[in-house]
Amino acid sequence: MLVAWKYKFRNSFIDTFDPRARWIVSFLVLASVLNFWDFRFIIFFFALSMLQVKLTKLTWEETKRAWTFIIVLVVFIVGINAFVFGRGGPALLGDIEPHVFWERVILLPFGWSWTLNLTAEKTAFAITQIVRMLTVASLFFIIPWTMDPSLYGVTFGGMGLPYRFAFAMDLAFRFVPTLARDFQVTLDAQKARGFEIERLDGGVVATIRKVAPLLVPVVMNAIIAGEDIVNAMDLRCFGLKERTWIGKLTYQTRDYVLIAFGITLLVVSLVLNHVFGLGEFWVPQWLIDLAG
Amino acid sequence: MTDTQPAISIRDLTFTYRIREEPAIHNINLELHPGELMLMVGASGSGKSTIMRAINGLIPRTYRGTMEGSINLFGKDVNEHSMAELSQTVGTLLQDPERQIVTSKVLNEVAFGLENLALPREEILQRVDETLGYLNIMKLRERETFRLSGGEKQIVGVAGVLAMRPRILLLDEPLASLDPASAHESLRIFRELANQGIAVLLVEHRVDDALAIDPDTVVYLENGRIVYSGSPDGLMQTADFHRVKLPASVVMQRAKAEPEPVYKPAVGQVGHLGEELVRFQNVGFRYSNDTSTILHDINFSVRQGDIIALLGPNGAGKTTLVKHVLGLLKPTSGEVRLEGVASKDSTVATAAKTVGYVFQNPSQMLFAPSVQEELAYGPTNLRHDKATMEKNIRWALETIHMSEYRDSPPLALSYGQQKRVSIASILAMRSRILMMDEPTAGQDYWNYRSFMDGILQMPGFDAVLFITHDLDLALTYATRILLLSNGRLAADGPTADVLQDEELLRSCRVLPTSLLRLNLQHLPTTGRFMRAEQLAHAVPNP
Repeated sequence: MLVAWKYKFRNSFIDTFDPRARWIVSFLVLASVLNFWDFRFIIFFFALSMLQVKLTKLTWEETKRAWTFIIVLVVFIVGINAFVFGRGGPALLGDIEPHVFWERVILLPFGWSWTLNLTAEKTAFAITQIVRMLTVASLFFIIPWTMDPSLYGVTFGGMGLPYRFAFAMDLAFRFVPTLARDFQVTLDAQKARGFEIERLDGGVVATIRKVAPLLVPVVMNAIIAGEDIVNAMDLRCFGLKERTWIGKLTYQTRDYVLIAFGITLLVVSLVLNHVFGLGEFWVPQWLIDLAG
Repeated sequence: MTDTQPAISIRDLTFTYRIREEPAIHNINLELHPGELMLMVGASGSGKSTIMRAINGLIPRTYRGTMEGSINLFGKDVNEHSMAELSQTVGTLLQDPERQIVTSKVLNEVAFGLENLALPREEILQRVDETLGYLNIMKLRERETFRLSGGEKQIVGVAGVLAMRPRILLLDEPLASLDPASAHESLRIFRELANQGIAVLLVEHRVDDALAIDPDTVVYLENGRIVYSGSPDGLMQTADFHRVKLPASVVMQRAKAEPEPVYKPAVGQVGHLGEELVRFQNVGFRYSNDTSTILHDINFSVRQGDIIALLGPNGAGKTTLVKHVLGLLKPTSGEVRLEGVASKDSTVATAAKTVGYVFQNPSQMLFAPSVQEELAYGPTNLRHDKATMEKNIRWALETIHMSEYRDSPPLALSYGQQKRVSIASILAMRSRILMMDEPTAGQDYWNYRSFMDGILQMPGFDAVLFITHDLDLALTYATRILLLSNGRLAADGPTADVLQDEELLRSCRVLPTSLLRLNLQHLPTTGRFMRAEQLAHAVPNP
């Protein structure tokens, strides 16, 4: 069976909103952020996203593992990728005349060479990209702790999604922590058979061979669990017709205000970007000066 | 009662799964009337689940194959029922409540089927509350399903089925994962439901327990065929008591005609305990600061020669306790020492050289393409040499009666066989201490008794500890009982001493069985606990 996230009711400001309104506004903010590559605009959205986290009354203790994971992921993968290669962002980076801090040419076999450099533009891009990703991640990552899992289905159903899809979302959300739990159990079971995660050395093939005892049972269990759920649902008539949701959600005035705020934000963003041409990639002058 | 229209009427039913060549069931004929409770008994692979699937429509909708014969529910062919009709007529409780529950909250779980039938919201809530009230579990209404204990999950599963007001109830080994008291409570409810007019088909191999609720008829299956059908009394003389667990007094009577079974454990003898292997000193444990304490002030030691059964209700902390021995969990307070070394100063990999631990669910550890490779995994990690490894693998396979499956992929085996492979994969490591979590879950009676005999008669283990809900398993094999309740050690002592205290047992949700009563009755003569087949020869005829 599926386990749930560590949700609890915290009586916070955010708890007073309808979960549908929260999803809608989160997506509106996401769509707004995507208009901007200018760090000065993105920092505003970052502040907005952090304000939401603050208002959930989540503690650092509860979320530090998730934060660490996100920060490591964003900084190392997105950050370094952007910093070194200048990839994963607007194509315009290629057109800007780079201001170089440091450069080295690496000689490869067959007479090829590869120029590795750090420029003012890449630095600005990396920082912008990191903050942009953290903004988007923190918009959504609070959901597991702050939305009642028993309302997942009716939330998506209530936003007009077909009931099959809405219930699938309900299951999918709970599938993630279930996978984490199963992985831990399998890790323990294999440790009891002398498996040491510290001994994962050697080449790619050797490493894959060594993690097979972890991955195979977890994947197989997920497949079996899926079949169980399908049987259990079939036996109780799921999928015959449009279903009733016993969870009940009602929009309050505050929910309309929140959604109106989200729409305004998106409209303003679109206007700034498409009408006034604001929000394009920006490199601070002092950084260019620094590169000389 | 029998003049009413039968709820279930099966005529000459034969079914072959598409992926198999042999039929899973042959020529099945049975009839069940409203208000009757039928007990269906048989070893695994006898065709019990197939019959259930044919009744509830999973065959042919989910499981395909060729079917001959007919099934009528209240006079109407099962294939003529629409799925909505069928699932309101037949309620099915799956074997494992873990597999039954699909939603995150009890309220939603009980409402699930009714929501799918698109009943109005108010009616659903009313029916849910009626059902919860009827089963006396209103207090669970707002709880999260994954936090329920095994017994609570079971009863919530029942509620989810009953809310749809089925006229037929199919129960597939509903007692498998329950502690004795929860099992007894569930059985009582099933009887009550039959008395209210529902036709109940109960598949269970814990016959001894199931007979306590007076089934109206019993069907006994072997290899897909009905061998016996009739009153419970007749079953006592027909069923093979080596394969199906019958009441102890019956076994004792019938076993007199056979030679006395030989069982000589190789692991230690009472009163001759050797060195201390494991020591728990004031151990307390909780997962994190904001969760409740799971273990409180646990003190005991395991010595060379101990065969320990760890008993206690669902959720008492038994698995948590055992994980400490291997260092998979470290105590929050106090310390656990393995061969004198505190677990905080050691690693799991080091502990694994001394302690073999079989996890409860085999599917959480099996991964290899063949049974042989599965069994070689642990010994390879421990760097055993080739010759030793080969010898131990062969012994492990013989012990679990699966030598012929050496090259089969473990993942394609049945659950019972997988469980045995998981046990063998630890046996092949030849640890000094063997620990098993619910070794008999999902196993037939004959299989588990024979591998327990095999393991305990094999020299090499210094101590064995197993977690179980099966009191008879404990009294047959263990020399010492640890009784855990609410994270505290409620008792620790020789088997006969601890199991004599009925009040203590009941307070830990363990119920005396017919075998225990029989043993207690003859204890002055026998001087120790033994299985019913041995009692038959140890006690002189009156």
